[in-house]
Amino acid sequence: MDVQELATGDATPASAGPATSFVGVVRFLHITPRAFLPMRAMPEITLVAGKGIEGDRYMVGREEGFYSDRPEDGRQITLFELETLDAMKRDCGVEFGPEEHRRNVTVEGVPLNHLVGRRFRLGETLLEATRLSVPCRHIEEITGKAVFDPLINRSGLNCRILSGGIVRIGDTVRSL
Amino acid sequence: MAPRRMRAVVAARAEAGEGVAAFVLKDPDGWELPPFRPGAHLDLYLPGGLVRTYSLVNDPAENDRYVIAVKREAQGRGGSAFLCDRLAAGDEIGIGLPRGGLPLGPQPQVFIAGGIGVTPFLSAASALVRQGRRDVMLHVIARGAPPLAERIAPLVAAGLAQVHDTRAGLRPLLGDLLAPFAGTGAAACCGPAALIDAFEAATRDWPADRVHVERFVPPPLEAPREAQDYRLVLARTGGEIAVPAGASMLEALAAHGIDIPHSCCGGICGLCKVGWIEGVPLHRDRALSPQERETSLLACVALSAGPRLVVDL
Repeated sequence: MDVQELATGDATPASAGPATSFVGVVRFLHITPRAFLPMRAMPEITLVAGKGIEGDRYMVGREEGFYSDRPEDGRQITLFELETLDAMKRDCGVEFGPEEHRRNVTVEGVPLNHLVGRRFRLGETLLEATRLSVPCRHIEEITGKAVFDPLINRSGLNCRILSGGIVRIGDTVRSL
Repeated sequence: MAPRRMRAVVAARAEAGEGVAAFVLKDPDGWELPPFRPGAHLDLYLPGGLVRTYSLVNDPAENDRYVIAVKREAQGRGGSAFLCDRLAAGDEIGIGLPRGGLPLGPQPQVFIAGGIGVTPFLSAASALVRQGRRDVMLHVIARGAPPLAERIAPLVAAGLAQVHDTRAGLRPLLGDLLAPFAGTGAAACCGPAALIDAFEAATRDWPADRVHVERFVPPPLEAPREAQDYRLVLARTGGEIAVPAGASMLEALAAHGIDIPHSCCGGICGLCKVGWIEGVPLHRDRALSPQERETSLLACVALSAGPRLVVDL
């Protein structure tokens, strides 16, 4: 796929349905170089169009993630809602931190489940959401917490990077 | 399937007593490692498909290293000999995720260790002491100097451990070691079978939840009561695989070179659906309809309630 070509237009594909308008914010950023290793909090991360996040396990060329044997554009970067962490504590009594969900970017005020098929701005970068993330049992092995069920249907968003750049904590996330 | 293992390098190796080698394992880039509980076990993947399990001996607060101690067993199955004779600083080795751990409560705690049986209690004692606990006592019974003497020494100096050298003196009476903890405390034992038998006899009247025995075998898999050990029969290829109760069919198949597509490993995505022909599957998934379950199962979560399960593979 020609990523540059995709990056030239900001228009949301017509097939994605009615527009969703939002302005959210980046609260946490995390990467890890290999499957199973703890995620490390970063003040900023560097996104490379069509490839991934520098230093992260799913970066094209590194491919050390749990699912790297099944490559997929949407693994270039993953997002998670801060509101889900609040809900897990409130509704399920599970203390679950932004370093534990294993997605790269924790955002607040962004309706991730509505963005499949859409493009949106993450700081200065441009992303396209490919699908919802699915919880994975190995997150329970790593954290020792019973989080699989509470994460069903709110386990984050997989995206490809159409236009790269640096993303920092506090950056704005906005609809197009 | 993607192997559930990590790469580690031997950052250091040291002799830690007679026939005992200690290994410090780290991530190749020095990244933090997944956390572990006091007394947890680590699987090591050795050449030739051998998997060996050892207790972690370091404090769980050390988040960038796993330390294990291996006693060379000349009569063993080859795992300890490989590690002691061949594994050197700088070598890379495959490891699993740490699993298990000792049940530690708020009550006073005594550990009784025989020889290399001290390994699971070192990480546990270190963790309790770091929490400020002073009601902990580690008794190490050994012929001559104990294994990992350097790691035991600080606990001895703090008055929280005693070494009983049976070459230099009489073997201590377990009743004497346990007496200060009887009534309110908890006790754990790890060591040779004779020591464990004596420990079990000495704690027979203790409440069961305050007595723990750690054996030199990997912890059993957790499985529902109905699950059985079973033979997984592959109808198309004619193969047969022995699967322990509670073990993952997906991983058992992968270990025999049969990779089926999978993703969530939790019974919801449905990717690892396999047809079944004969037997009594325990489904445990959240994806298949009652109709689908009559002919299919999800290999990531399905177990068997019978001794034989035939699948369409």
